[in-house]
Amino acid sequence: MDFLKYIYCSLIVFLFTILFSYGQDEEMYAPVKEKVPLELKGLKFGLNVGRFSDYLFKPERVSYETSFDFNLNHKYFGVFEAGYSEIELKKDNYHYLSDGYFLKLGMDYNMLKKYPSDFLGIGIRFGWADFNQSASNIIIDANHWSAYTTSINPESLNTYWLEASFGIKGEIFKNVYFGWSALLKIRVAGGKNLNVQPYDIPGYGNSTKGINLGANYYIYYQIPFNRK
Amino acid sequence: MPIETSKHTMKIIKYIIPFLIITIVTLSCGDDICILETESFMSLEINVTDTTLVDKKYLENLSIYSPEWSDSIHYSEEGSSSIIDFQLSPHNSNTTIVITSDSSDLKDTVQFYHQNELFFLSPECGFILNYKIDSFSVTNNLIDSIYLKTDKITNYVNGLFEIYIL
Repeated sequence: MDFLKYIYCSLIVFLFTILFSYGQDEEMYAPVKEKVPLELKGLKFGLNVGRFSDYLFKPERVSYETSFDFNLNHKYFGVFEAGYSEIELKKDNYHYLSDGYFLKLGMDYNMLKKYPSDFLGIGIRFGWADFNQSASNIIIDANHWSAYTTSINPESLNTYWLEASFGIKGEIFKNVYFGWSALLKIRVAGGKNLNVQPYDIPGYGNSTKGINLGANYYIYYQIPFNRK
Repeated sequence: MPIETSKHTMKIIKYIIPFLIITIVTLSCGDDICILETESFMSLEINVTDTTLVDKKYLENLSIYSPEWSDSIHYSEEGSSSIIDFQLSPHNSNTTIVITSDSSDLKDTVQFYHQNELFFLSPECGFILNYKIDSFSVTNNLIDSIYLKTDKITNYVNGLFEIYIL
């Protein structure tokens, strides 16, 4: 069943990409006339501002995420992303702590031809997270039995996943870009514990699901480098 | 910024706003109330075919208790359709249950040996215990035979133990 889910989600992303591509103005897609050798055209540093929404919607989590992308001829982009996440859930019947970091490495492909400084395209990443979790003061009520109290010693976990993305970036001021991307994450290995499933895996999200959807909102600064 | 590029930037921003709104609406839909089932039960299905015990309303007068409890569970109050539910011990890996009835002087004792599995259900509900029955033993004062039908006990699936009193 999981395999079918993977195929289904991959098809959705593929169709979404195709449909979106056809929905754009034809003028944005001039045919490629010649092959240009790969050359570093720019370097962008980005901060995921979407993570700040946690203060409002997920106050138990504090997380940061940064991105570096290496513009290779405005068509291909090498991408390196890194982040940190810390979770504290303090309730009457348990106190859960988790913290860790994640790294993602991959490529983006720009489908825009006429406006090469902007981006509309797809990407793929390989992600890795390393994190710790522990819990204390776990209280379980069991009717006729007295309340059961226990704790979980700190344990270290790893998770690996593949990520497909579709998104846009637009230059809103000189060298400053804003963009979003929709993400589809497929767990490859790790992050599963027979006793205590992690509440959240840094960079991946809900640990109970083999496939997660997500979104990023980035502000980038392009280091003025080799720019005409 | 050239006019053409500026128009194009506006076009791109046009796609950002709806996406942002959808995400905010989706994120704000959660609440902090536990709406999931958090307790795991073992069900005893007691089949009485001994006519004397049936006449004496053995099942209607049946109660179960553990020596570690301060009270009992009465079929007349909490049971139905020949089934009475209880929870296994969260403190130990074995649970002793005594089956008794006002209709008979004889009692039977069932001992369950089990694994207790701690499970994080959700941030709202916290942790729960699921169980797996490894083995059991029973006295045969009134009980003729017993069958373990469901050995994995979760918050969604009760364990099931059939008891026959012939």
